[in-house]
Amino acid sequence: MTIPTFILKNALRNKRRALLSISSGAVSLFLLVTLQVALRELTLPPQSAGAELRVAVRNKISITNPLPVRQRGIIEKIPGVEAVTPFTWFGGKYKGEEGMSFAQFAMDADKLHSVFGEAKMNGDGYEKFNATKDACVLGKITADKYHLKVGDQMTLDSTIYPGSLSFHIAGIYFGTPDDRNMLFRQDYLDESIGEPGYVGMWWLKVKSADDMVPVIKAINAAFQNTSAEVRAESERNFQLGFISMLGNIKTLIASISTVVVFTLVLVTASTMSMAVRERFRELAILKALGFRRRELFAFILAESFGLAVAGALLGIGGAYCLYTFGDIGKMTAGIFVSFEVTPRIMGVAALVAALLGIIAAVAPSLSVARMSVVNGLKTLD
Amino acid sequence: MAEPIVKIRELTKLYSQGEIQVTALDRITLDIAAGEFLALMGPSGSGKSTLLHIIAGVDRPTSGQCLVQGVDVTKLNESALADWRNHNVGFIFQTFNLIPVLTAAENVELPLLLTRLSRTQRRKQVETALEVVGLADRAKHLPRQLSGGQEQRVAIARALVTDPALIVADEPTGNLDSHSAQEVLGALQSLRKDAGKTIIMVTHDPKAAAFGTRQIHLEKGELS
Repeated sequence: MTIPTFILKNALRNKRRALLSISSGAVSLFLLVTLQVALRELTLPPQSAGAELRVAVRNKISITNPLPVRQRGIIEKIPGVEAVTPFTWFGGKYKGEEGMSFAQFAMDADKLHSVFGEAKMNGDGYEKFNATKDACVLGKITADKYHLKVGDQMTLDSTIYPGSLSFHIAGIYFGTPDDRNMLFRQDYLDESIGEPGYVGMWWLKVKSADDMVPVIKAINAAFQNTSAEVRAESERNFQLGFISMLGNIKTLIASISTVVVFTLVLVTASTMSMAVRERFRELAILKALGFRRRELFAFILAESFGLAVAGALLGIGGAYCLYTFGDIGKMTAGIFVSFEVTPRIMGVAALVAALLGIIAAVAPSLSVARMSVVNGLKTLD
Repeated sequence: MAEPIVKIRELTKLYSQGEIQVTALDRITLDIAAGEFLALMGPSGSGKSTLLHIIAGVDRPTSGQCLVQGVDVTKLNESALADWRNHNVGFIFQTFNLIPVLTAAENVELPLLLTRLSRTQRRKQVETALEVVGLADRAKHLPRQLSGGQEQRVAIARALVTDPALIVADEPTGNLDSHSAQEVLGALQSLRKDAGKTIIMVTHDPKAAAFGTRQIHLEKGELS
């Protein structure tokens, strides 16, 4: 027999309790990893390939306030601007669904490739999108979800504009970080709602990264003190601005994570306390046989640490496998398109497991250290 | 007479029970010779277990001296005392106190885990100890697969596996039937005769005490 064998036999002497303890650790750490990944995905959305050259321009008052069409000509003339397209939220519901399961935007068909060049389409999707007024292109995730294909017709009931619009699918795009959206033509929308002279936003592409800051400054300055002042910002900042609105969700996730960790500490500490209390007599015998406080502490620590690590392997490993090899789009009904369990998140979860293994061992170790051999032996008779 | 293995001088142990002070041992002076099988008798609360615990280095006296093989165990710090116990004392308890998840051999091996012996050396010593108590064929049995007498003999093997000079036994037959008790006492007697071990045994039972080479009685913390 070796000391590790002795520790292992002790840890597994009550197999049901050990299993439950490991399972509770695994489930809690799985949940912790899930929450941390969700938090990361919400706060650090994946960046698309062309993002560093894209600028989003919205109404300074609110993103829901439209922008006048006449701004386009002014923006296009700003040095460094390569392409500009309107980008108007349609807010349509598909097949009478309760909520919107994918976003739809109206834009210029001929600017799709130049502004959002990372969107790839098979066949002649781009050409068809340019050629047909009621054409649309659909993200692959949404197309797969609704079993839609090129040539199909789809009708959306807008929650913003009166009536419905029907579209023919010209292409299915893929290759962007979020292949869920539907894009259709701004001129089709304008025509159907009577040429209002407004768009939702402007998205543009600058010629080089060096142009980004001057272009943003120039756009903001160009519409200062007009009836539609704008806020131009890089795509990244635009996304982060959205995320700042999720402040409460972040706090909520952080709070749940704290509760998970705290519960985990209580469960593990309670398990270890029970395990040691049951063995108080035996630990007194070990002391009588010559085992010192530090050796007994090492036994308890190793056992507690072992249970925590086993839970961590199952929980963190399970989360990694599920989110790496599983279809996250299906699992979350399309809410998340990526759900990356990063080494940092795994490291943090492993650290939490290690710490709780140590913390859970402290109280029982102290009681064993304080126990005199005689008092321990007295419990025998 | 040769130098005694245990030399106790003016040993006193006081306990506080609330505001009342109880004298467990009252200025005991006692010598125990090497190779002796001492039966320590007395009624409950007479202080015999306390005396045994102080000799074995698991309790400390309030005053007085307790030298075992020339070492004053009352002066050793906790860590040194643990080390000293491991090398010099073998314990046998009334309730056997084997670790239920370990086999007989593994239980016997426990004190050896603290030594620098190799695995092979440890195994050899365990085999020898189990042979001495006649349980070599039960090496792989768990405690629950053994009878009470066999469990106590495994405990004896555990007590002698480090080859200590002194073996202390606290009511070793208290939980056994008369047949098993005879076996255990016989084994202890053999240890004294064949291996020259010094044995100190606490017992209530005069029949068990008769196996000793000397009997002493404690009454209210004093030798009578």
